[in-house]
Amino acid sequence: MSAPTELRSTTRTAGRRGRRGPATASEKRDAKAALFFLAPWAVGLVLITVGPITASLYLSFTDYSLLAPPEWIGLENYERMIDDPRLHTALAVTFRYVFISVPLQLIAALGLAMILDRGVRGLAIYRSMYYLPSLLGGSVAVAILWRQVFGTDGLVNQLLAFFGIQGQGWVSHPEYALGTLMILNVWTFGAPMVIFLAGLRQIPEMYYEAAAIDGAGKVRLFFSITIPLLTPIIFFNLVLQVINAFQSFTQAFIVSGGSGGPADSTLFFTLYLYQKGFGALDMGYASAMAWLLLGIIAALTAVNFFASKYWVFYND
Amino acid sequence: MSQHSTSPFPPSHPPRARRRSIATTAGLAVVGLLLAGCGGGDGGLAPAEASPKTSTSAGGDEKVELRFSWWGSDTRHALNQEVIDLFTAEHPNITIVADYTSWGDYWDKLSTTVAAGDTPDVMMQEERYLREYATKGVVQDMSALTSLDLSGIEEEILSAGNFDDGQFGVPTGINTYAFVADPEVYAAAGVELPDDTTWTWDDYIEVTTAISANSPDGVYGAQDYGFNEPGFAIFARQKGEELYNPDGSLGFSKETLAEWWSMSLTLQDAGATPPATKSVEVENGGPEMSLVGTGQGGNSLFWTNQLGALTSAAGHELKLLRHPGEADGERTGMYFKPSMYYSISSTTEHPEEAALFVDFMLNDVEAGKIILSDRGLPANTSVREAVQESFTDVDKQSAAFLADLGPVIVDSLATPPVGSGEVVNIIKRINEQVLFRQITPEQAAEQFMSEVEQATS
Repeated sequence: MSAPTELRSTTRTAGRRGRRGPATASEKRDAKAALFFLAPWAVGLVLITVGPITASLYLSFTDYSLLAPPEWIGLENYERMIDDPRLHTALAVTFRYVFISVPLQLIAALGLAMILDRGVRGLAIYRSMYYLPSLLGGSVAVAILWRQVFGTDGLVNQLLAFFGIQGQGWVSHPEYALGTLMILNVWTFGAPMVIFLAGLRQIPEMYYEAAAIDGAGKVRLFFSITIPLLTPIIFFNLVLQVINAFQSFTQAFIVSGGSGGPADSTLFFTLYLYQKGFGALDMGYASAMAWLLLGIIAALTAVNFFASKYWVFYND
Repeated sequence: MSQHSTSPFPPSHPPRARRRSIATTAGLAVVGLLLAGCGGGDGGLAPAEASPKTSTSAGGDEKVELRFSWWGSDTRHALNQEVIDLFTAEHPNITIVADYTSWGDYWDKLSTTVAAGDTPDVMMQEERYLREYATKGVVQDMSALTSLDLSGIEEEILSAGNFDDGQFGVPTGINTYAFVADPEVYAAAGVELPDDTTWTWDDYIEVTTAISANSPDGVYGAQDYGFNEPGFAIFARQKGEELYNPDGSLGFSKETLAEWWSMSLTLQDAGATPPATKSVEVENGGPEMSLVGTGQGGNSLFWTNQLGALTSAAGHELKLLRHPGEADGERTGMYFKPSMYYSISSTTEHPEEAALFVDFMLNDVEAGKIILSDRGLPANTSVREAVQESFTDVDKQSAAFLADLGPVIVDSLATPPVGSGEVVNIIKRINEQVLFRQITPEQAAEQFMSEVEQATS
């Protein structure tokens, strides 16, 4: 999944639309081959994704403990959400996490992509190095590492002590714990960075040359050429990272030992959902929560697409 | 390495956004939805309809296959396998499939397999979940099973798994919640170990404060006790109250709970316990990272079957102490708790064979010699006697501690109500709020009571 794929496929659809008429024999053969190669994916999609999603929609209207068959209760689960203070905490924590860490992550990704794009020796090595955290960021091992690094006797405090500052347990303080998870998310900027890098390569050099001849400085070049031409990529990264961030689970689960603590300060929505479903054995409520999350993400994505009309520039 | 000059202008470019039809936008939004649906796989939302278990085996002399599920460490997996081998050697027609996971994953896995209609025939249970599984009809009343002899277990212990007119769980062994003291930290601070048969809560504050005052930075008198409810249950019982009444309602007053949390703040203020961030960290680290486990503190509260792990983490002998306030309270608060239970599925095709296996683990001396104190001190008193000499020094120490304690214990706790599995999370979260002074002990007590009532109603 990468930006260019998305862009290209849109073009192809537009091209196809123009031609109507009976399919030729070779086209039919192609269609059969396509179906054959799509089959494994389609089976997986139906069994592993669509099936459970549909089932969870049904379960969200039931009282389901996992241990006994579900009982239909209509909209009760959804009504209960209105007076659930922990759900509201979870939403607040998740929104704060998404709205602060995603922009920071994209800025970091773009900044580094710009530096690497200037033609650094050993680019492939740097690119891989910076990409690595993206692969590791969601892993249990890194979350454990994070707990150590930001602990009372962790690396961060040892560094601070070097400068004579008395640190504290960052992950175990309700005011700072979420901040450490945001830093973790920003640190995994590798994936958007690689996409930015690809996008930067597609900006024709001649634009810069022409602007430079007209006397534009570096800042002007950045804001008048790089940013506008990069907006489709920024948009793509934004949508993807927002969706990802909403679904964050592992980091908070491991760092807080599954509790979302200290004092619910890292209670991600998905973590609370998990606690409700498997801890409290209230799978009906957890399913309703999953649909609420899906609704929130869908709505935000729609808003994103709507707003994109006003700031995303497709150069043709 | 000039990048730009080598990359030609991309051949295809998308149409303008302005031209994009609403349909396309909607289509992309659907893609967004699918992306949202695909990613993660957090917690496995996939449900499965409960359906009656079907099996092809017909019983009789035919081969019988049972599945036994438990949680635990590698040590437990190894010794359970030994017990299974021993059992199947005696009963060649029975095969036992071992099904094990860590504690953290066990309950997720068990509830999911139950939902899938694939409940294990024999499973390990814990008091906080037992009633839930029993009322939902997942585990069966074992008192009617003829292959299971429960006569070797003291009535008082056995009763913990007995409610709603049925024996839904059989205790594997016993435990008690006690203070674990590090004599070396006491000695280094020049503080004498207290006489635990007489000490009061005031003594506790005094002793732990003195240890902190006379120890180097980073060594404390005690670990905070507020993260778990068993400690409070004992405190409440010393005042003639209970954590839960037998009918599952709350059995303590708001004042008692507020007092318990105020005392924890008193200890924190006096420096007897670490600052809040450190307390949270230590708590999340388990026995190995506890203050006593790392030589950073004089006292920590633990279950007696964790003494082995604590001792090997500390690297030297530790001492078990009774709770303060046992002598001067209205009554003694400490109790024996079945460390775990064996339960049998209500949908098993082979209840008698399953009972035979549980009976073997419970009453067979040879099996007892393998299991030793892995599940607490053996519940069957004659097995406990018989395996005593095979115990390690640590086990002997806890066995002696429990034996001494026996006469002063009044009764065991009532089986916690359905939903009490959540209480451990509730108290942990509220205690964090107390330690960070986000709420007062009175507010904390109120909040705890209302949340627990909601969770267990």
